[in-house]
Amino acid sequence: MTDSTVVTSAQLEAWLRAAAGELKAHADELTALDSAIGDADHGTNMARGFAAVVEKLDAAGDDSPGIQPLLKSVGMTLISKVGGASGSLYGTLFLDMGKAAPDAAEIGVADFASVVAAGVAGVVGRGHAVVGDKTMIDALEPAVTALTDAAASGASAADAARAAAEAAAIGRDSTVPLVARKGRASYLGERSAGHLDPGAASATILVQTLADTLGDGGSAP
Amino acid sequence: MIGFVVVSHSEPLAQAVVDLAMQMIHGEAPPVRVAAGADGGFGTDAAAIAAAVDDLADTDGVLILTDLGSAVLSSELALELRESTQPVVISGGPFVEGATAGIVRAATGGTLADVAAEAAGALAAKQPHGGDEVPAPPGASAPAGPPAAAPPTGGAAPAPTAAPAAGAVEREVTVVNPVGLHSRPASLVVKAATGFDAVPTITDVTTGKGPARADSMIALLALGATQGHLLRVRAEGPDAAAAVDAIADLVEDGFGEGE
Repeated sequence: MTDSTVVTSAQLEAWLRAAAGELKAHADELTALDSAIGDADHGTNMARGFAAVVEKLDAAGDDSPGIQPLLKSVGMTLISKVGGASGSLYGTLFLDMGKAAPDAAEIGVADFASVVAAGVAGVVGRGHAVVGDKTMIDALEPAVTALTDAAASGASAADAARAAAEAAAIGRDSTVPLVARKGRASYLGERSAGHLDPGAASATILVQTLADTLGDGGSAP
Repeated sequence: MIGFVVVSHSEPLAQAVVDLAMQMIHGEAPPVRVAAGADGGFGTDAAAIAAAVDDLADTDGVLILTDLGSAVLSSELALELRESTQPVVISGGPFVEGATAGIVRAATGGTLADVAAEAAGALAAKQPHGGDEVPAPPGASAPAGPPAAAPPTGGAAPAPTAAPAAGAVEREVTVVNPVGLHSRPASLVVKAATGFDAVPTITDVTTGKGPARADSMIALLALGATQGHLLRVRAEGPDAAAAVDAIADLVEDGFGEGE
């Protein structure tokens, strides 16, 4: 546990590695969700994309880049390696986070919340989804709101991320009864109701691993 | 000339669409690039689309043709990632028909706006009555009588239907080839119609459809003119007689397809 109110680029690297592990562990589950209402590839696509992110981190060695180049590089990797809407949307999330981030090795938690908000705003601008459309936005938007509120009230980075993770999970679960209005699942219309949205599920994994990493103090390997 | 980037979740699908469209090209073909698949599987890759657009940096403009939904999303992201500065439009037209209509239009020297309009209007060609009405569900009372006449689509501007004005030339010819004015003949008509002062028009006298602009493949296909139909070819201006003869001779000759 840590009461630090800054987020470092080493912590973000540790988060990306942890996220790659969790996405790989949950790949079959995500793909099963996607086979119910999509094209049955979300788990493999996300696991492949984040494995490529880790490969790039390994290749870069110990030279920890600033937060901005780190996030932009992750965005470009996801665009090319995930494929389809998820690649463009998660790629946009990280690219736009990078554009809003400083080229520094650490950032205050309130500024970090602004960076994440810029990324999620980019996703909304790209995919035109709003809360209730049964997409990753159903998890990401409440997560950003919780992160921002917690940071503004003086919470530590770990506590703010935990609040974000809890909000993401609630948002994810709220997608079950919804009828999809965006993405491949929208071709199914009413038949998409009754299933958890795979994008909201993978987004929640990202936010949850952020909370876990910051809660551990995020020691880089 | 206008170039094309064909964006698809599947490389074979994109390549087949390009091959199909290229069958219509008789002469210099517009430059076409394919950006399809992601990391060896199904998907779309915004970075690959951006690279394809950049590869066409020295064209007068690029029309991006897309298949399923996320192809549009990735194309929009690609426009932010690209480094070239030529104008680019993402087509809202149907994939196969839009590619065919757009590439045929570009081969005759259209602007990006012309080509984009042609691709966007391409859905009309596969709708027999020109509208996009969904068949009424069983039990619903369907309106009696024939559907309304096809609205002008794909840049087919209404032309005067009164008696020929001074300087106007008209000639009526009968469609003789068995399959009629389908896509290959239409592409030949588009080619023949290019290069005159005024755009010739074709009216299907048998069905009353038209006039359709003879430089619009989609408008011509929407006429649905089949064997035995009487067509009225009309043009105005100094070149009128030559333009009308060029097209009417093609029709009378059965578009080279025999009778």
